[in-house]
Amino acid sequence: MLGIDDPQIWLAYILCFISAIGCIIYGALKWNDDSDDGEAE
Amino acid sequence: MVLSTPVLGVIILVYLMVIFYLGWLGYKKTKQTEDYMVAGRQIHPYILALSYGATFISTSAIIGFGGAAGALGMGLLWLAFMNIFVGIFIAFVFFGSRTRRMGLNLNAVTFPELIGRRFQSRFIQGFSGALIGIFMPLYAGIVLIGGARFLESTLNINYDVAVLILTVIVAAYVITGGLIAVMYTDALQGTLMFIGMIFLLVFTYIKMGGVVAAHSALTAMNDLVPDSLVAGGHMGWTSMPAFGSPIWWTLISTLVLGVGIGVVAQPQLAVRFMTVKNDTALNRAVLVGGPFILMMTGVAFTVGALSNAYFYETLGQISVVVAGGNTDLIMPEFINSAMPETFVVLFMLTLLAAAMSTLSSQFHTMGTSIGHDFYREFIKKGELGQTINITKAAIAFTILASVVLAYILPISIIARATAIFFGLCAAAFLPMYSGALFWKRMTKEGAIASLLVGTFSSLFWLAFVHRSEAVPLGISKAIFGVDTILTGTWTVVDPILVATPLAFAVAIIVSLMTKPTPQEHLDTCFKK
Repeated sequence: MLGIDDPQIWLAYILCFISAIGCIIYGALKWNDDSDDGEAE
Repeated sequence: MVLSTPVLGVIILVYLMVIFYLGWLGYKKTKQTEDYMVAGRQIHPYILALSYGATFISTSAIIGFGGAAGALGMGLLWLAFMNIFVGIFIAFVFFGSRTRRMGLNLNAVTFPELIGRRFQSRFIQGFSGALIGIFMPLYAGIVLIGGARFLESTLNINYDVAVLILTVIVAAYVITGGLIAVMYTDALQGTLMFIGMIFLLVFTYIKMGGVVAAHSALTAMNDLVPDSLVAGGHMGWTSMPAFGSPIWWTLISTLVLGVGIGVVAQPQLAVRFMTVKNDTALNRAVLVGGPFILMMTGVAFTVGALSNAYFYETLGQISVVVAGGNTDLIMPEFINSAMPETFVVLFMLTLLAAAMSTLSSQFHTMGTSIGHDFYREFIKKGELGQTINITKAAIAFTILASVVLAYILPISIIARATAIFFGLCAAAFLPMYSGALFWKRMTKEGAIASLLVGTFSSLFWLAFVHRSEAVPLGISKAIFGVDTILTGTWTVVDPILVATPLAFAVAIIVSLMTKPTPQEHLDTCFKK
């Protein structure tokens, strides 16, 4: 896959993207979520 | 890296002027201790994310670890994955929100203070502060060398002058502007790094005919791995090393686990969770932080490995050979020969920004560790007074220590300093930091025991067992007459794999054997 034979490598390559996209989705979904928030003031 | 154009000089000058402006802004906004230590707990999520990422990623992460990928191959992408998943997601979502809230509840302004107050122990705070003050200069020393080497080669100035210039510039805005100045400048530097690395990735793939074509070219080179590396377990740049081989152990234990997990317990990063006013800011920062780290380590490791295919195609040699055996030169060599000249200029700035953003946070953390945690809270028992002045003096002192270390340490130790510091932090701080946040039953005695066991077992393993440090240090040789007191696979197992589990075990056993923390104090710590 992706020109890489060893599954242990292409898995890492793909996981890098999946985790970064996961961070984007998480941040977007929680963008205005202040349900469990305590304000500093 | 010889590139001496007036254009570069002008660009660097403009860059430094903006840095000074941001430093001045930090100085203007700093009115109380809390501003100086935790940026008034009012930092914007975007600035938090970039500041965290830019501090996390130094020049050595791009050049040093990128070069390591040039030699060892794409297996390092597991570290990139850990950097994103553990270093950003787990760190922000699980550690971040609890750290922020507890820091506020306990009115803590540094990482050692947070832990010290959670366990009601000045010893923990003082010892942690001293540990950071003593060992962080090692880590700061190598970042300083990286930045100064860059200035030396690009501006054609003397290395000693370069060290001095870099130190004075960074020290000036850290000492006067505190954490606000550090984080504002980090955000600018992080933005520059992001742009530089995107260009690097895109240019590299275009140059090599696309993603799949580039990877395939590298895969086709499996039989070109030098015999010395094959003997160590290297099976090609798009394959993992042979399971259990020395290279596999170095890759997995030192790089992927040591650096990948160690990051959670980094004091200069953990303190940033206390700089925002609510959890929403932390969640928003995850959105920026994940892609940022992907573009840093993900790109550096991919490009580092792919440089082999490029050099083989153009020069008929693999990267390590082109770089004369010094893996630190793989990335600079690749960038200089494969990238357009305008990009080289941009990338120079990327590297300078990477060095400065990490250095500034190290200076700030070392100073507050000695000035606030060790001197004020431990020696003076919390007595108020000249804290900020002492902290500033401590910043100046630890900077001096870093500069001196940068000169006197053997190069073989310096090259490993990042991994040493990350591993030491993981063993010493991770058990009590996670216990402080997630396990109410953890006691002061358990925390102290884990701190001491983690610190000393990690140092012991470094000095007497782990070959990469034990041999150049020579302590084992001097005392026992042998390079390492254990032999075989043990000598390639990183201290983090031994010391951290040991410290965790001690933390649990001692906590269960001692009196629980009073409920009243726990209520204060975990208050919503």
